[in-house]
Amino acid sequence: MSGQSSLALKEEGNRHFQKGDYVAAEALYTKAILADPINPLLYTNRAMARLKMSRWDSVIEDCEECLRLSSSSSTSTSGGSSKNFKALYYLSQAHLPLKNYDQAVAYALEAHKICTETHDKSLAAVTSQVLKCKKERWEHREKLRKREEQELEGEVVEMLRREMDGLLKTSSSEDGDDEEERKETEKMYEEKIERIRAVFERARDKENQRRPNPPDWAIDDISFQVMVDPVMTKTGKSYERASIEEHLRRSETDPLTRTPLTIKDLLPNIDLKHACEEFLNENGWAVDW
Amino acid sequence: MPVQFAAKRLGKELNKIQNGLPPGIELVSADNLEEWLLDIRVLDNNPLYLNETYRLKFRFGQSYPIEPPEVVFVKQADRPIPIHPHIYSNGIICLDLLGQQGWSPVQSVESVSMSLQSMLTGNTKNERPPGDEEFVRANKQRPKDIEFYYHDNTV
Repeated sequence: MSGQSSLALKEEGNRHFQKGDYVAAEALYTKAILADPINPLLYTNRAMARLKMSRWDSVIEDCEECLRLSSSSSTSTSGGSSKNFKALYYLSQAHLPLKNYDQAVAYALEAHKICTETHDKSLAAVTSQVLKCKKERWEHREKLRKREEQELEGEVVEMLRREMDGLLKTSSSEDGDDEEERKETEKMYEEKIERIRAVFERARDKENQRRPNPPDWAIDDISFQVMVDPVMTKTGKSYERASIEEHLRRSETDPLTRTPLTIKDLLPNIDLKHACEEFLNENGWAVDW
Repeated sequence: MPVQFAAKRLGKELNKIQNGLPPGIELVSADNLEEWLLDIRVLDNNPLYLNETYRLKFRFGQSYPIEPPEVVFVKQADRPIPIHPHIYSNGIICLDLLGQQGWSPVQSVESVSMSLQSMLTGNTKNERPPGDEEFVRANKQRPKDIEFYYHDNTV
């Protein structure tokens, strides 16, 4: 191995990363890892470069290695645990394009939890990731549901046709029976099929109608997004945690009353959090309303 | 704060605005997420502003709404600068809610426009701020860089 230290290699990698040369950065991070294979932080650096290169599977490998190394190094230092959220955040970002929606959501929520505990400035970005994952999961589920409903419609129509054919066959085998009755049966079934199609059509129309804005109670008045982690100020008004913390870092005042307010004064609003979760599960579109 | 924060919030504000604004406030253009133009009118019969429409320009930084937008009146052939003891004749507005201290992230383009509308509605003084000529002559800075002295908070 060359004399260059893993730290120097990592820093050179960072310089390339800043310039947008992710391939060179990734190669340097790999060299740094070879020089120091048990430093968990090097793996998240490489994962970050691999994310940019859309190499999702190897992002996942790096992040999992980072988590394994930092959990085995017993009582992880504060630096270690704040990096852990990055591994979780990158895991979420890699699982999403792989369509592992539940994992993407779960990792984003874990990263959110750590950022909340450490008051990390990335909380806003992680909050956006939670919303993005939930939106894409919802869209995926909707697509499946719509496909299933379409199949169901086809099956029901098919069943009616078969039933009709059966009836027509038996009546015709009794031969000589009047044409009138056959026509009557055919007409009745065509009408039924028509009605079934109309019911499905009406359900689809209703969905395609322009959606209203999401309800005010679910929306953070600072980011205008559906809340992921609402926290309450002394006045009883709730905001998204990432938004209000960002505001309080700039000015320690209540946004409505301008009276003194600090991050310590914020209380989680658990019931509202559950209500927002439930709302978002049914209305993933509301992420980009 | 990531760059996307301002963009997302402005996108949603625009969405809301397109569903309707209060009477006397109209969106003129919002072609990008950096600069929007709005027109405002005073709705009562205040003789100072009767039959006039005023143009507002909002400029947003990447930290909006954590940081306030920059808001000024702009002069056009048919859009004068309203006369008011807190509005300089070059369009710069002295309003505490637009300053670093008075701003709150729950304010929005709509709420700022409404505040300015009511600031005009309530005014009876046919005058510019003290030292207007000097201010306009000397001032080459952006409104954000000026530390206003809120000499009269009753207006």
